[in-house]
Amino acid sequence: MSSSKFEEVINKIINDSPPGELREVYDDLIKITSENSKNTILDAIENYNVQNCIPIEVNGNSVIISKYNKEGAKFFDPVNSVIFSVNHLERKGLDIEPYEFTHAKIEKGQLKELHDKLHEYLLQSFPGDVSFAVYPVPEEISKISIIIVSTKYNPNNFWNGHWRSSYIYDLETRELSGQISTQVHYYEDGNVSFQSGKDINQSNVDDVVCTIRDIETNFENDLDLSFFDLNEKQFKALRRRLPVTRSKINWGSAIGSYRLGKNAAEGK
Amino acid sequence: MSDAQFDAALDLLRRLNPTKLQENLNNLIELQPNLAQDLLSSVDVPLSIRKDPTDSNREYLCCDYNRDIDSFRSPWSNTYFPELSSEDSQDSPFPSTPLRQVEILANDSFDIYRDLYYEGGISSVYFWDLNEEEFDGHDFAGVVLFKKNQSDHSNWDSIHVFEVTASPSSSDTFNYRVTTTIILHLDKTNYDHDSQMMLSGNLTRQTEKDIGVDMSRPLEIISTSHVANLGSLIEDIESQMRNLLETVYFEKTRDIFHQTKNAAIASSAEETNKDAHAEVIKGLQSL
Repeated sequence: MSSSKFEEVINKIINDSPPGELREVYDDLIKITSENSKNTILDAIENYNVQNCIPIEVNGNSVIISKYNKEGAKFFDPVNSVIFSVNHLERKGLDIEPYEFTHAKIEKGQLKELHDKLHEYLLQSFPGDVSFAVYPVPEEISKISIIIVSTKYNPNNFWNGHWRSSYIYDLETRELSGQISTQVHYYEDGNVSFQSGKDINQSNVDDVVCTIRDIETNFENDLDLSFFDLNEKQFKALRRRLPVTRSKINWGSAIGSYRLGKNAAEGK
Repeated sequence: MSDAQFDAALDLLRRLNPTKLQENLNNLIELQPNLAQDLLSSVDVPLSIRKDPTDSNREYLCCDYNRDIDSFRSPWSNTYFPELSSEDSQDSPFPSTPLRQVEILANDSFDIYRDLYYEGGISSVYFWDLNEEEFDGHDFAGVVLFKKNQSDHSNWDSIHVFEVTASPSSSDTFNYRVTTTIILHLDKTNYDHDSQMMLSGNLTRQTEKDIGVDMSRPLEIISTSHVANLGSLIEDIESQMRNLLETVYFEKTRDIFHQTKNAAIASSAEETNKDAHAEVIKGLQSL
């Protein structure tokens, strides 16, 4: 296989992995290929972590990495004023150094207020391990990026849950756009995946945290209805719990009588 | 290929997005071609459908168990389609003549079962001999398949692979061993609201049961007993699996989702988040 084809296949597999299981996927891929593919897999995981806004542990804090806080090969954390490299497999910060960041558009007081409001909202609505970030959007100084990640990983019971919502808010046009993306993986004696998402576009947004709260609460309520709907309609239409006769089948040589009965009922 | 590689590949397929199972299977084989045969024969993928041109284009289900080269044997006419050259078909696997009689009976019985439970869909049953000699009422194996599609948005595949073997301790007792995989895909995508939701995957269970069969009776009666035993065993397994699927798909995943996001969390959550809160405050104070 050519090296570009190899990279393509590795990238596809990594991109298809549930967020809580990259370590296991890495170990499996090393076994299936060899230690030689280590760098290709790690590159794919780095790309995955940035694309999917994965939280990284930096000095005991959970810091989301993304294209918005990337500075060369490093990432900065405006809250704790540090810049760091990342061990993408362990999800840990390295070479942590002081870093002064000043936002071109928002004053520190304003940013702190936004942080506090977001944090208050998250406490009320996200029971998982929560991380959040407010980052500038490079070269578009009127825009900020708001990212929320909530995870609950329980590999001992073969399940992992992951929530991510990310928005761009334009302080001048007061437009809010973004995506909610959520997934659950359940893999005890099988492989079951729940995935849901929604694109968001809203204008005339003054109170950004309040708007996000409303959007996300509606999304959650809609999901509960969809679960109910899928069960009641689509699932029930696939296979009955019992035949119309409400009793189990009488197997054996007389089974043909069901067909005779049905044909008679249909007048055949 | 080593066992470690095969185990790692199976572990990966249990983790990667189940809706892309076929694609992931192909990718793994691309990475490690030695794994191809073992993976293709042990990983259940959604069943494909073919038509039997000699039986009014009646549909039948295809999997690795009724495949030869690129053709699939129809349970209705016992013929491979697309038809194989006479040279190829000489080596094609067929059940022995007496076992084919049981296969016909099983297809007929499970077709009635399909109608009663699925009210639509397709069923197919394939048998194969386990002994060199012709089937005499003793050991055999097979697969019972069901598929039901409701538009593109929901799909159910049941795959029951079984083996029936005489118990070593008693000549009138048989051990029925069934490995069941159900692949269930449901989606609810709403383009008007830019939202999508998908519940998809597969669950596997193994079941074993010892059942007595009166071997002093004629082969035809013995065969009917085997089909009846398999029938009620598979009926029970599917009922249990349906309950399990309902619990996992609609309760378990929903509960886990709400462990990440829940607008109605009680004050207890603030307790667990207190530490995180303290961290953030500390961080903010240094701004």
